Amino acid sequence: MEDVGRGQRRAEFEAEALPHLDALYAFASRLTGGDEARSEDLVQATCLRAFERWEQYEPGTDCRAWLMTILRSTFINEYHSRRTKPTPVDYDDVAERSVFDGRSPDDPEARFFERIVDDRIVEAIDALPDEFRVPLVLSDLQGLKYREISDVLGVPVGTVKSRLHRARRRLQDDLHDYAVEQGIVAR
Amino acid sequence: MIDWFRRLWPGGETAPENITCEEALARMYEYLDGELEPDWSEKVRRHLEVCRRCWPRFELERAFIDHIRARGLRPARKRDLEERIRTLLDEVESD
Repeated sequence: MEDVGRGQRRAEFEAEALPHLDALYAFASRLTGGDEARSEDLVQATCLRAFERWEQYEPGTDCRAWLMTILRSTFINEYHSRRTKPTPVDYDDVAERSVFDGRSPDDPEARFFERIVDDRIVEAIDALPDEFRVPLVLSDLQGLKYREISDVLGVPVGTVKSRLHRARRRLQDDLHDYAVEQGIVAR
Repeated sequence: MIDWFRRLWPGGETAPENITCEEALARMYEYLDGELEPDWSEKVRRHLEVCRRCWPRFELERAFIDHIRARGLRPARKRDLEERIRTLLDEVESD
């Protein structure tokens, strides 16, 4: 009888949770900056925690969102424990000039990012320093509000704001440089 | 579709009863992220209705963020990850 219950629990978990592995792995990859081993560890730890707490999941609700929350908190625990001191970040190296200055939204060159292959976009996100990448991933890929990111990372809202804004500017500059190299845009 | 003909304000100056381009740009990401308090959000929105310098910039920034959101989570899962997770679950269950 007990085996039947366990078997059913396992079957439910596999049916509900495992279809989200791709999304979990992609989220983990962006959080870790493309570190394959850490991303896999993170997904495995997330699945184990989710399986242990499977009774807390309400069938019919958003399983993917529930798993993402577990993955995020697993990552943040690791993130804080790894970081004895913050990596120095040069805050003055972001040019104030924007690649979008004076451009029209209808100008294909202004929309250069739409002509860059997806892999290169992912690479550019992964190449951002942790301090910039993590707020960007939590905001732009996970839809968290500034306050939520501030709570998750344990930094003031103003810091979240400035890191997120700089992350976007860096990403734009990096992708624009790439677009110039590839001849996608003229300058 | 937003009407270009309404965007007659040359930019770089203060529109009547409104804010400057600098004030609008300083709040651009907060506005796009829906993080601005309602009164400022309204001021920026009104500025964008008349400023032909800021509106294109905001539109491109929005398009950029939307693009990153749509493309940034590309799955790249290792093929054997699911198998390893099933093995881990076996181990947990046998404990």
